[in-house]
Amino acid sequence: MKASIEWLKDFSEINVSGKELGDILTMTGSKLETIEERGKDIENVVVGKILEIEKHPNADKLIVTKVDVGSEILQIVTGADNVSVGDIVPIAKSGSTLPGDVHIKKGELRGVESNGMMCACTELNIPVDRYPNQIEHGIMILPPEMESRLGENIVEVLGLEEEILDFEITSNRPDCFSIEGLGREIAISLNTEFKNPRKNLAEMKVENKTELEGLKVDITAPDLCYRYIARMVKDVKIGESPDWMKRRLEACGVRSINNIVDITNYVMLELGQPMHAFDINSIAGKHITVRRANDGEKITTLDDQERILSQDMLVISDEEKAVAIAGVMGAQNSEIEETTTTVVFESAVFNGGSVRKTAKKVGLRTEASSRYEKGLPQENAERAINRAVELVEIIGAGKAVDGKIDVYPTKQTFNQVEFNPEKINRLLGTNIAREDMVKTLEKLEMKVEGNTVIPPYFRVDIERLADLAEEVVRFYGYDKVDCTLINSEATLGIRTKAQKLTDKIRQTLVNKGLSEICTYGFINEKDLDQLCVTEDSDLRSQVIPVKNPLSEDYSIMRTTTLPSMLQTIVTNQSKKNKNVGLFDISRVYRNVDGQIEQGNVPTEDTMVTIGMYGENVDFYILKGLVEKILSISSVLRYDVVSEKCNNSYHPGKTANIKVGKDVIATLGEIHPEVAENYDIKGDVYCAEIWLDKLVKYGKMNKKYTEVAKFPAVERDIAMVIDEDVEVGNIERAIEKKGKKILEEVKLFDVYRDEKIGAGKKSVAYSLKFRSKDKTLTDEEINSTMEEILKELESLGAELRK
Amino acid sequence: MGDKIQEMTEAVKRKLGEIKTLQELQDLKVKYLGKKGEVTSMLKGLGGMAPEERPIFGQKVNALREELEKSMERREREVKERILEQRLQKEKIDVTMPGKNIELGSSHPITQVIQEVEEIFLGMGYSIADGPEVETAIYNFDKLNTPADHPARDLQDTFYITEDVILRTQTSPVQARVMENQKPPIKIICPGAVYRSDTLDATHSPVFHQIEGLVVDKNITMSDLKGTLEMFAKNCLGPNTKVRFRPHHFPFTEPSAEADVSCFVCGGKGCRVCKQEGWIELLGCGMVHPKVLENCGIDPNEYSGFAFGFGVERIAMAKFGIDDLRLLYENDVRFLKQF
Repeated sequence: MKASIEWLKDFSEINVSGKELGDILTMTGSKLETIEERGKDIENVVVGKILEIEKHPNADKLIVTKVDVGSEILQIVTGADNVSVGDIVPIAKSGSTLPGDVHIKKGELRGVESNGMMCACTELNIPVDRYPNQIEHGIMILPPEMESRLGENIVEVLGLEEEILDFEITSNRPDCFSIEGLGREIAISLNTEFKNPRKNLAEMKVENKTELEGLKVDITAPDLCYRYIARMVKDVKIGESPDWMKRRLEACGVRSINNIVDITNYVMLELGQPMHAFDINSIAGKHITVRRANDGEKITTLDDQERILSQDMLVISDEEKAVAIAGVMGAQNSEIEETTTTVVFESAVFNGGSVRKTAKKVGLRTEASSRYEKGLPQENAERAINRAVELVEIIGAGKAVDGKIDVYPTKQTFNQVEFNPEKINRLLGTNIAREDMVKTLEKLEMKVEGNTVIPPYFRVDIERLADLAEEVVRFYGYDKVDCTLINSEATLGIRTKAQKLTDKIRQTLVNKGLSEICTYGFINEKDLDQLCVTEDSDLRSQVIPVKNPLSEDYSIMRTTTLPSMLQTIVTNQSKKNKNVGLFDISRVYRNVDGQIEQGNVPTEDTMVTIGMYGENVDFYILKGLVEKILSISSVLRYDVVSEKCNNSYHPGKTANIKVGKDVIATLGEIHPEVAENYDIKGDVYCAEIWLDKLVKYGKMNKKYTEVAKFPAVERDIAMVIDEDVEVGNIERAIEKKGKKILEEVKLFDVYRDEKIGAGKKSVAYSLKFRSKDKTLTDEEINSTMEEILKELESLGAELRK
Repeated sequence: MGDKIQEMTEAVKRKLGEIKTLQELQDLKVKYLGKKGEVTSMLKGLGGMAPEERPIFGQKVNALREELEKSMERREREVKERILEQRLQKEKIDVTMPGKNIELGSSHPITQVIQEVEEIFLGMGYSIADGPEVETAIYNFDKLNTPADHPARDLQDTFYITEDVILRTQTSPVQARVMENQKPPIKIICPGAVYRSDTLDATHSPVFHQIEGLVVDKNITMSDLKGTLEMFAKNCLGPNTKVRFRPHHFPFTEPSAEADVSCFVCGGKGCRVCKQEGWIELLGCGMVHPKVLENCGIDPNEYSGFAFGFGVERIAMAKFGIDDLRLLYENDVRFLKQF
């Protein structure tokens, strides 16, 4: 909310600078956003009178003038064509400064000396429409009576100096969206007098009529319109508003249109109640109905846009057509024209939520709608319309018609709020005396009656004790409230098992040289195609689409983290980063069994995703990392199973880690086709690990096992076996027959060559045997070895001696 | 005989001086003092001597042996020292050559800020709570005193999944979930991703992170809120940090405040980062609105509480001097490894 100090002074004593005022109000709840100091950037510009005009000897488009600036006569060369002898104009003398840090100096124009410059409105930052008969691209012509002030500073003469403060108003304080409301806050904040100059408005006795000069008003949607007041002015002469009014409007960022429209805006800014004005002649049947719009009903608003309405919107209508979208904007068909002579003012209160939704739907957020949507008090409407009529008479724009039409189906309710100083102090941690609280509340125009407070009509936000506490502490000073630490039962501040594990995994991956990335939960629907995900996959059927996505790239919630990882890899490849290792600890979102359709939240699982490319990566390095994660998660029993059916991964270089039947991780090389779809160069290795499953299967309670007392015996086995037999199977065979005394199986060599033959490989293991309770004999080991060898032969192994 | 001893002493001394390696020394030891060594045989020769000469000669030979042993030991030490010195000399390297790179990765700056904040609050007895990112409107808005036509629902442009299910616009719904499931005392923080329909630019992102804090117990006051946040700010942003509380409005707290901290770049004098104000807006906070407590099944007459929430990116950017939010989500490894 923009407000000029000059206007605010009508309502409150202000004995501090604009900056100080802003700082003080910031601490009582209206935060100063910006401060604009108009006129300060104009120096040494004075009132002058043109005495002579001659043609420039060397230029057709220039003239040479003599100007009286009081103390001297200046020769000024100008290209302006709207000046004549005798005109009073603003003169920027040599050495003057204009807005925008423009400096004017003595100079020569085509060989003729010029000692300054005549100024246009725009050069002085004055809106062209503030003064009558000014033109955009011409010198500002001042009124003739200003001749008496030749040589005087233009800033003072025109009153250009103005301080405009822009405050951030919170949504619970529609009353502060007005000069009056801000003035009240200022008076309390500065501890000066609130002048309450509009006190008279509520006291005006205007007779309520059912018909006003033939005008009737009906509300057919009382759920959306709580009150509608109409008053009329006649013998209206549409014209320009007086300077003071234009200036105040401009300061608040509102453009002057004509005297009647300006009055409606002026009242809105001053009192916070939006107003509207109609030409009586444009209201068919002189009958205003506040009704719901018809579906598909069209209206052309004042901004020359056709809007299509629907049943949930409220319109102001005559007997034929809608003449305004209630609370948002009027229609062109009932606009105030230069020929208007009788004006109907509207001051109404609509349902805030309805106005907000309508404004959003038609895409038109106006000064009026932004006030209405916060919920305005019905009781202010009459004050506002009285003020509008008063202003018409003050500026002589027309004559008031006696009486009003006031349709008021939903009376404003007043809260009775519990007032308990002890409770307030207990909530705040303060020790404020009751009298001081009462003083503050009374300045805020609340009625304190014993243990009850009745807030004034304009404070609809005050509903309960906590609200009173805020009012009290706002003016007591948030800064005066002590800083204490909670004094209550001790609580335990520790991480959960899952949180600890997450940190441990993160730390491990960082220590292994991987960098953590942070990605969005959204992906593009096309990502699933690029990943070659099959049509019947859960990754597709469980997808959660966003109804109003920012773009296609963010159109669904991801069911897999691979796209986010692959995109990041693409980014890094495009930046020519070599040998990159990344990980992401983030979520996937799955709509399982129609959770969303039932209004529930979907399943969210946390994934650890690893992505690597470059020289130092292969499947086994990735597997080593994954196994390290399994190990620190204390997932000790798991199977590594070759995975050929995951279309996103290379069918020959991919494995699932399983606990029983549950897949807890997938790792491998990204399928070359998928890599190509993402424009990835070279091999990329990825792993997806279900963090929640690590927590589930991890045996976090570690147990001591006795350190071996008896010696171990090592034996090596080497064999030639078909390429197709996975070493996992060989190991399982060895473990099966090694029984209790087999302590360790270590693969130490795998090779292939011509001697062994095509389709075969040589595999060598070192086995370690040990018993817990004795030294093993050769016979015991030999018999176990024999069983192992037999088992291996049954797998097709040919043992090498 | 005396001459022989004398001779031998001198011969050994001479030979010792020539010795360069420990092996030579060992050989010399064997030659004189070994089982078949010259001194040993001298002692063995005692038997052939006249009984009266034996003790005198025996004494002399023993003295010789002792002297030889001593000088050999001394020489051994010298030789060892010299050898060690030579070795050290030989092994000298150029320590100014570059060290071998041990590649470490890095945790994401957003994670680092979250963890730092977590540590501070864990130390104050808070636990860390978690909740869904795809949330119901009931938890994200209704329970937090933001009913269907509340203007706040528009201010935070929301991503919708359905009418009733949305992407959470704040971490506050976790508060409501915790309050429903846990009896006071409650002391939690909830870090996490939140979603708002903002196009990605230097200061906005449709996904960003928040940390929410909530305390509910008997006799929790606004001064506790101030004290807690001041403690937090000083620990997170430096011991000289000043905190300023300004009145504000949120639907879920009353009284509400915004907390500013003295600019950590200029210390409050005014600079580009704080837009010459000396203060940087840090977070929103307040006393939990009694309606929110009621909505979550907690009796506001018995309990009170405070809540606060802030953006992680804002702190990460200020702390690390990052001037473009997009860098945090681009994940260029050259950027990530700086943290």
